[in-house]
Amino acid sequence: MLTREQALALVLRRLALLGKELGKPALEQADEQTRLFGEAAALDSIGLVTLIADLEEDIRVATGKTVFLADEKAMSRLTSPFRRTGLLAEYVVEIVGR
Amino acid sequence: MPSTALITGSSRGLGLALAERLLADGWTVHGFARGPQTLAHARFRAHVVDVADEAAVRTAIAAIAAEGRIDLLVNNAGTASLNSVLLTPGEVAATLMRVNYLGAFHCLQAAGKAMVRQRSGLILNLTTVAVPLRLDGEAAYVASKAAVEALTQVAAAELAPQGVRVLAAGFGPVDTALTRAVPRGKLAEINERIGRPQGTTIPQAVDFLVALIGDASVPSGSIRYLASL
Repeated sequence: MLTREQALALVLRRLALLGKELGKPALEQADEQTRLFGEAAALDSIGLVTLIADLEEDIRVATGKTVFLADEKAMSRLTSPFRRTGLLAEYVVEIVGR
Repeated sequence: MPSTALITGSSRGLGLALAERLLADGWTVHGFARGPQTLAHARFRAHVVDVADEAAVRTAIAAIAAEGRIDLLVNNAGTASLNSVLLTPGEVAATLMRVNYLGAFHCLQAAGKAMVRQRSGLILNLTTVAVPLRLDGEAAYVASKAAVEALTQVAAAELAPQGVRVLAAGFGPVDTALTRAVPRGKLAEINERIGRPQGTTIPQAVDFLVALIGDASVPSGSIRYLASL
């Protein structure tokens, strides 16, 4: 199991690493309000795919559980869990707890 | 550095021969098949997976990725059916799309994610010369493989920024169980059209695939045929 704070820490840590890799220092300053997806988002589509792929592995290492973040349920939600870092952290907690 | 491959449809024919060749070349090979596999080798791992079953594919590939790298995915599993377009049952067309296209899609998606994490990898999708030849009598089969070719080119563009290459390779009729139901006259006609009157043997097809796998200069998104078209 993960708490919201632990999940958010995973997301922010991964974003910071991606920021270094992609040369986007703003990602290293991300907080729970950072927009991931949509207009004025921190990531482009490739960046979001990379974040999801990397984060699934981070979750497996942290919890021992294999999860698939981008499943049909996530993609069809009215409020996308990929819109902001805080929403993504809450979604991570939910999916790990399933 | 030791490399790890995943080959679908590895229980027989071209998939089995490619697995044997990669093992001989020092690779570790994971093989997907719907039933038991006869190949026995210290570096071969057999998995009972139907590529059309998305959940089974995701679970199996996640388990492989958790153990280490996946450097190469060969989407070889496939099925064929020859029939006039007006006489092909819808369920046959659906099966061809499920196995040939969706099977490749599921595996590409799951292994592609592992490769994105690695920031490297090669996905090789098998297609057929029947696509560029627009072979009559194979509409549903050709459509499923045309979808694989389109998938190859779009996935290549999407995954290129993360160092993952996607290619497709196609052959004329290779002497496998898949082509034994095809009338000899039809096979001879196709082989003439692609400049290979003697046909294509499994070892020739394997050599072609191994050369493609080893050639990093082939641009991602390329579709290569062992044929003169």
